[in-house]
Amino acid sequence: MRHFKTLLFHELKLAVYSWNTWATAGLFLTLMGTIYWFALLECSRSPQPWTPVEGTFKLFWLPLLCILPLLTMRSFSEERRAGTLSSLLTTPASIAAIVWAKFLAAWITWVTFWLGFIPFTMLVNLRLGSVNEQRLSDPTVLIGALSFIFMSGLLHVAIGILCSCLTRSSALAALLTFITLLGLTAAGGALESLPIESWTWLGWLREPASHLRTFGHLQDFAAGVIDSRPLVLYITGNLLCLGLAILAVEGQE
Amino acid sequence: MTEPTTQPVAAVVAELLTKRYGSLTAIEDLSFTVAPGEIVGFLGPNGAGKSTTMKILAGTMAGTSGRATIWGESVSLNPAAAKSHLAYMPENNPLPDDLRVEEYLTLRAKLKNVESKNVQARVEKVMIDCDLIRRAKGRLIGHLSKGFRQRVGIADALLAQPKVIILDEPTIGLDPHQILGIRDLIRSLRGQMAVLISSHILHEVEQVCDKVVIINRGRLVAQGKTEDLRRELLPNAVFKLTSNTPLAQLLEICLQIESAAKIEVQENLAGDWVRYQITIPTQSAIRENLAAHLIKAGVSLREIAEEHYGLEDIFLAATRRTTNDGLKN
Repeated sequence: MRHFKTLLFHELKLAVYSWNTWATAGLFLTLMGTIYWFALLECSRSPQPWTPVEGTFKLFWLPLLCILPLLTMRSFSEERRAGTLSSLLTTPASIAAIVWAKFLAAWITWVTFWLGFIPFTMLVNLRLGSVNEQRLSDPTVLIGALSFIFMSGLLHVAIGILCSCLTRSSALAALLTFITLLGLTAAGGALESLPIESWTWLGWLREPASHLRTFGHLQDFAAGVIDSRPLVLYITGNLLCLGLAILAVEGQE
Repeated sequence: MTEPTTQPVAAVVAELLTKRYGSLTAIEDLSFTVAPGEIVGFLGPNGAGKSTTMKILAGTMAGTSGRATIWGESVSLNPAAAKSHLAYMPENNPLPDDLRVEEYLTLRAKLKNVESKNVQARVEKVMIDCDLIRRAKGRLIGHLSKGFRQRVGIADALLAQPKVIILDEPTIGLDPHQILGIRDLIRSLRGQMAVLISSHILHEVEQVCDKVVIINRGRLVAQGKTEDLRRELLPNAVFKLTSNTPLAQLLEICLQIESAAKIEVQENLAGDWVRYQITIPTQSAIRENLAAHLIKAGVSLREIAEEHYGLEDIFLAATRRTTNDGLKN
């Protein structure tokens, strides 16, 4: 991991100065603000079994599928297209350091986006307090849901980085990331909805289905239930994707 | 990092390097060396395998077989140590458009193991050496002209004071003034670092390099000092002379003084004057004073001059020889 710190600071600096990051952040906050607004409206009309924050986070897949690919698509594909990756590889910096620096910079940016959502809830809580005797922003729900986002982000951002390693086209990298994340997010729900119990020949799917229930993980985290299985899933998935990304970069030249 | 305590015999060693893409062989059994402090021109027609060889030496591409070392360190077995002795400027010199020159060079200095306390000083030094300090220091690389971008690439190569520099077409797209500047800069590196430079401008290579390596169709066709290659590849000296002595008489005289001489008429001029071309072996004893021999033998001369063979002729002779061999095979 030679020069990891240098590369990480460089990547973070690029992210701060890049118009792409700011445009994506604007899009993210607009999207989250709109979802939160509708959740608030719903809660103001009649009591709901969920808080507005819970309602907002239930739609976490929207920014995941629409915003995350925009964040990660340029990380390697743009450098490969411009040829600057080859130039970077002639320095003593290791490929692992390059991949991890890009991943961590993208993950920190992703986390920062979500942290940018907190002021919305604080502002609403400060001005309105409660509607229909329902707490508008339960901090435990918010912390739990954000923990889920940060933890699952390890895998989701790593998928984006891996997809960006596979092509010179940023658009194609974004599309690949979108499809993979859609498959991953939808797979859990789809497997859960299948009548696996009654199909004995599909019994082997029971175990993976219980691991891939992304929405279930969100509910658990938001309820303050910390299960080690999703942690293992997201961390090992992250290591697998970044390992493949390192191999992809090595194999490209 | 492994730091050899003694200076290796060769700064760059390419030994039987081969690179294949499926059935296509880009380079085959390529072997040459570059001594420490030596400037070597790496020549070949388009598609000969120059850039492939340079990429393998720089460690950005793996060879199919063979061995490459930089300052005694194997490029494949110990890439980090090899890269710490090497700076490589690829063809077209890719640079990030969204960084400022000083920012970029500072980042590169850090990545190239320049000590933190020396980074600023080294960046300033290379910007002065490459004439970037006044007009390009704070500008975005994406807004620079081709000439300034090339300078940034060379400044980057010089940053960490490497033992070996590999420059792939460093003067491509530059105007004559800029070429002169880059040429002087490269010349100033002689004795300090080994430089392997590929260029299509043979005149420039001849002026700057201590020796040349010529490849064609992925194979080595010649290597050595220009003078040695001239003797090897162009064994005849050619003289152009203008005389009014008839061809038959001139031929008789020439054969008397050099039995291997050949003569042919180039052009009939006004009056009885004719422009001839005389070819004699380079090693011939009369080469140095052919004019005196001819005058002594009664030939009236108006003009005589030996044709000078430049690197271009050597390059053409070397590549033509292998191309013809290839066609025969």
